[in-house]
Amino acid sequence: MVKEIIVIGAGLAGLTCSVKSASKNMHVKLFSPAHSERSQSVMAMGGINAALNTKGEDDSVNEHYTDTINAGQHINNHNAVEKLTNDAPEIIDWLSKLGTSFTRDDDGNVDVRYFGGQKKMRTAYAGARTGKQILTAINTECRKWEYKDKIKRYVGWRFLSLILDDDKVCRGVVMINENTEEIRDFYADFVVIASGGMNKVFGKISGSLHNDGFVSGKLLHQGIELANMEMIQYHPTTIETPVKRMLITEAARGEGGKLYTLRNGEKWYFMEEWYPEQGALMPRDVVSRSIYRVCHEDDMGIDGENKVYLDLTHLDEKTVKTKLDEVYDVCMNYLNLDPTREPIPVYPGVHYFMGGIRTDDAHKTNIRNLFAIGECSSQYHGANRLGGNSLLGAIHGGWVVADQLEEISCENNSSEEYEILNYEYEAYENWKELQKEANNISSYEIEEEIANIMNRTMGIYRTESELKEGLNKLDSLETIHVNSHGCYYDYILLKSLTDIAKAMLSSALARKESRGAHQRLDYPETNEEYLKTTVISFDNDELKITFNDTEERMSW
Amino acid sequence: MESITVIIKTSKGMKEYTYEGNLNIPVTTLLERINVKHDIKIHYSSSCLQGLCGSCSMIINGLPKLACKTFVNEEATTKKMHKITIEPLSKFHVVKDLVVDRTSMFENIKNSRQWLEEESRINQDNLEFEYEASQCYGAILPVTSSKISKQESNMDKLKFLKENYSNHFYNDCVKSLACENICPMNIQTQRAISIMNRHSIWKFHKLLKK
Repeated sequence: MVKEIIVIGAGLAGLTCSVKSASKNMHVKLFSPAHSERSQSVMAMGGINAALNTKGEDDSVNEHYTDTINAGQHINNHNAVEKLTNDAPEIIDWLSKLGTSFTRDDDGNVDVRYFGGQKKMRTAYAGARTGKQILTAINTECRKWEYKDKIKRYVGWRFLSLILDDDKVCRGVVMINENTEEIRDFYADFVVIASGGMNKVFGKISGSLHNDGFVSGKLLHQGIELANMEMIQYHPTTIETPVKRMLITEAARGEGGKLYTLRNGEKWYFMEEWYPEQGALMPRDVVSRSIYRVCHEDDMGIDGENKVYLDLTHLDEKTVKTKLDEVYDVCMNYLNLDPTREPIPVYPGVHYFMGGIRTDDAHKTNIRNLFAIGECSSQYHGANRLGGNSLLGAIHGGWVVADQLEEISCENNSSEEYEILNYEYEAYENWKELQKEANNISSYEIEEEIANIMNRTMGIYRTESELKEGLNKLDSLETIHVNSHGCYYDYILLKSLTDIAKAMLSSALARKESRGAHQRLDYPETNEEYLKTTVISFDNDELKITFNDTEERMSW
Repeated sequence: MESITVIIKTSKGMKEYTYEGNLNIPVTTLLERINVKHDIKIHYSSSCLQGLCGSCSMIINGLPKLACKTFVNEEATTKKMHKITIEPLSKFHVVKDLVVDRTSMFENIKNSRQWLEEESRINQDNLEFEYEASQCYGAILPVTSSKISKQESNMDKLKFLKENYSNHFYNDCVKSLACENICPMNIQTQRAISIMNRHSIWKFHKLLKK
């Protein structure tokens, strides 16, 4: 019997899982709102970590493991990280064989460079656009399997809900076609969620608009546990543009870029002063807090504003224009600033969600036959992610899951009828009725309000009173009748965003300590009691939080 | 504070909006602000908002462009007197407002079978070209073609590729260079085609003669 797999999301994680499953003779239905070329994965610039040990630095898989756990402040799933770092060199090899144009050193080896939180050169890269180059390679491979009818793509489809049987086993999904608004059910032996981060709760962040968090919110509502939702990464170097806060890759510092502010008219390299060993290449949470301290506690931001300088002017012009050409382009296009001549004004901005759907080291969720991979999953990065580990985690998730799907036996699907499809039809009809009402509040207003609440309360530092106030405000949004301008998805998205926002605030309230990306002004110390995974789920319409063992395995 | 007229042409007709504010913004930001200000939803595709993904291709003042990399002040003040016209791409089926369905393009790429049946080997001297071609937003440029010509050993596939290549590139391209002018990634398509011709056609011939 050929196994049927449904994959939700066609970025690097979903693509890898699809390609690997197809090569193991399974059938894949691959759903995504847009083609893979449009996914957030193509935005990843800096690189992908693997202890290749080609620079005579005596690097090892063990050190990669240790650095990842230390950066994650020990609440990563240790078993998962062990697999991740062990498999990394093989993943690079696989990507090479697929034709990824990795930058090579003089010996023809995949070149590696320095990245934050790691003392060894361990970050492989492909020019200035590692994510795009890897995606092109895997996508080409995917076309081969599409041509051979092993993978069928459904582009323009959005997830609505899981189909669960009476035993809470996942049987398939209900999807909606965004263009035609057709609502349909699809069945499979296994469902793999690869829907990315939860960007939209913060408005617009450095990543893609597609990764809005809708799927995670819907899953939470259907009884799927989320984990470490308070762990939100502020990337230290983002720039303010009229479009959004855009990212300046960590590779800029990896290649020698320095952070400074002006003190008595002189350049003050505060990172070098505070952290002499690794300077500006400390883990991201540390760098972000340092910039915060310069601007808010020392009141030394450039021109009295919330910014410091990222200086690349001392670097070789060719390095900036080839190895960092994306940085050059973004600065020229959106700031009208030439980074080879002027320093770049930067400040931390929301970039990545370490938390998400609760997954164990096998990427299993708490629902049988349901997996989650990529940024929407939560086991690798703990309280803070190392740069270069997200591409690795995304691809690794796809690998690990495809391997298991081959092993796990699955019973035949019964041809039961499931209520959920009718429920989704009804919800759609209800929305149509609601839209006829006059005086509904614009969905844009509510989106903005959610983003304001989140940016205010879930900053680099948090307090109980602000978090509680945020939760109250989110509650008050729930009763509002919304005008979604004739767009059903925009309407259901709001409910999902509100749920996710609440889950984040509640998790942040419950973790009464400071660790990695989660810093509480009222609990500034790290507390051993919280060497745990924060787990949040709906229990009779109430959010319930528990702290579980980080290595806990799912029961199926 | 400057004011411009924004003309949106869709299959439903032409609509004019007035925009007042900072003009040093890309067209995606302009559309977003019009939507919020007028409390409407003009549908358009976008994802990265910074020129990395190719979602927001549309026709701006008559030319296909990436909306997130096209700045309003350059389009609306210097070229046209305080006016900007925005339309969906013309070669594809329009789904809604400025959204088009480009599935046909991706189907064609798939059917051109541009992939290696075996593991890719490293071609150090070709790396730069492979990197450049891989930047393509649609990954249309057959980046693997030179790899295929060097490595592919399946005769049937080579025969198929040769015919396909002759039909679509070698015979049909009139070398007007228009594609280079509009490529938002500045890929030197003409150079790419000539490299492919060099690698592919003659190599295919040689291989097939053997």
